[in-house]
Amino acid sequence: MEDLKTSVKGQVLAIQDLPTLPGVLDEVTKLVENPETSTEEIANVIGKDQVLSAKVLKMVNSPIYGFPGRISSIQHGLVLLGFNVIRGIIISTSVFDMMVQAMQGLWEHSIGVATASNIVARRAGFDDPEEYAVAGLLHDLGKVVTAVQLPELHESILNTAKEKNLSYYKAEKHVLGFAHDRINAWLARHWHLPGNIREAMSRHHSPHMAELYKSTACVVHLGDFMVRLFEFGNSGDDQTAYLRPEAMKELGFKMSDLERCMDELADQLLDVSDMSF
Amino acid sequence: MNTTDPAPCFVRKQRAFLLSDDSALRDMLLSMWSSDWIEFTVFERGRGAIEYLFNDPPDLLVVDNRLSDISGAEIANLVKSENVYRQLPVVLVLDHDDMGSPWDWASVEVDDFLVRPFSDSEARDRINLTLCRATRAMDANPLTKLPGNTSIIQRIQSLIDKEQDFALAYCDLDYFKSFNDKYGFSRGDEILMMTARVIVNTIKSFGGSGNFVGHVGGDDYVFIMSPDEVEQACQRIIATFDAIVPNFYDASDRKLGKIVSKDRQGLVREFPIMAVSIAVVFNIDGRLKHFGEASAIAMSLKKKAKENPESCYVLDRRN
Repeated sequence: MEDLKTSVKGQVLAIQDLPTLPGVLDEVTKLVENPETSTEEIANVIGKDQVLSAKVLKMVNSPIYGFPGRISSIQHGLVLLGFNVIRGIIISTSVFDMMVQAMQGLWEHSIGVATASNIVARRAGFDDPEEYAVAGLLHDLGKVVTAVQLPELHESILNTAKEKNLSYYKAEKHVLGFAHDRINAWLARHWHLPGNIREAMSRHHSPHMAELYKSTACVVHLGDFMVRLFEFGNSGDDQTAYLRPEAMKELGFKMSDLERCMDELADQLLDVSDMSF
Repeated sequence: MNTTDPAPCFVRKQRAFLLSDDSALRDMLLSMWSSDWIEFTVFERGRGAIEYLFNDPPDLLVVDNRLSDISGAEIANLVKSENVYRQLPVVLVLDHDDMGSPWDWASVEVDDFLVRPFSDSEARDRINLTLCRATRAMDANPLTKLPGNTSIIQRIQSLIDKEQDFALAYCDLDYFKSFNDKYGFSRGDEILMMTARVIVNTIKSFGGSGNFVGHVGGDDYVFIMSPDEVEQACQRIIATFDAIVPNFYDASDRKLGKIVSKDRQGLVREFPIMAVSIAVVFNIDGRLKHFGEASAIAMSLKKKAKENPESCYVLDRRN
């Protein structure tokens, strides 16, 4: 299994282009072509796409700019990169030509978790809820990378989940020996993403294990739980979600807090589902 | 050969030294540029030229490896070993035979070379390119790669000479030093890089063709843009800087909203989160005659801006 891990890690980190879904890319392309567009408008649209968001954060946190690991907001990323670089990112992003249908569910799930994480962070009284939203948006990025770089393994994970009636997470462990949280950890470190985002990406299934940014991991864990409960989008399986009591405790949440968040999320998901994917 | 067209990126007339006893080379180089653009001083011997070179360095040195008294490579190394002359672009002239085995360009630090027999047009363009490259590289701040003082002064003075209206803004950071002292200079450099990006991208977003951003050094920056837009630009820079800068502090300090560190006397002091101060000087209807006036006005305004611990800008309204 160690061999598979080494070879998979190499393939994962070698990823050159993460494709995205056509809808958001078209929208951003139009915005960027118009010189009147503000960075805020572009940030709002990019903030709905896990792949474009990841690309922006990867670039602005790269050592070339001189402040790796510092920027976790898309809006700040855009201001620091400037229009030319954003245009470059947009131009060099391709679209999923196959499996758009399969990917669509994951996109919906991710934006759902971004929305939910924002709600939970605010409820917990944290500053900068937008950063928790970014962490939520990127929490399943490893699954996109698997689909692109390791299509056969990805296929096999999906089949295993279906045949053995497992969660996608368990099926990954069955096939690979590890799961997307590990892949996320590799990517986040390789791309110099800030610690809070890295921790949420690698610890959203085990927030109690988080070391430095436990609260971010817990918020995203709760967000993930809520969105799966609503069966909004699809992150690779149709299993029931689990909720770690430690996460509730860490955030100081009672069931009533969770219920309030669920109500708010129900309203917001209606808006989100209007988005064209 | 085109002798009249100015080379595109020279900001002013260039002085060049040619060290060679090859009259064909001399005639070729002298015929290539009008002396309004590049003025050559020719030395047939190497040794005698060295003192001139050190006392009054030119903008370009073309040195023949065939010199009878000292090798071209030796002269090049003499020049490049001293930081004062290091930036002087040196073109080494070689014979085809010199190219038999590869040169060790790490030990012969020239900027380009020409090989006999010359192609006139290639020689011309290589020298033009060497000069352009040197102007680009020479003055850039090594950290941010923004133009430095020489370029800033030239830009301001040329706008003043043309009696063109412009706004000149001086930016600097409040409490940068205490940040540097507490977190170390590599994290200080992160702040300088971030600030440069914020200023450059904000100014670029206004899209004016004459806009300019320079890095004086340390935490001092300048930008030049149209007087109509400068106030809005200041507001945007301040808003963006204030939103981003907390990300560069440790979480605990960010929560406190300040850093606590010892000053030079060993006393414990508190310093607020960094802020940006901007002082803006206007040149309208040819009011300014010399860039020195601009910077003197800006410095007195800056003091005023600095009195405010928060990010702010001050406009010079004496028009």
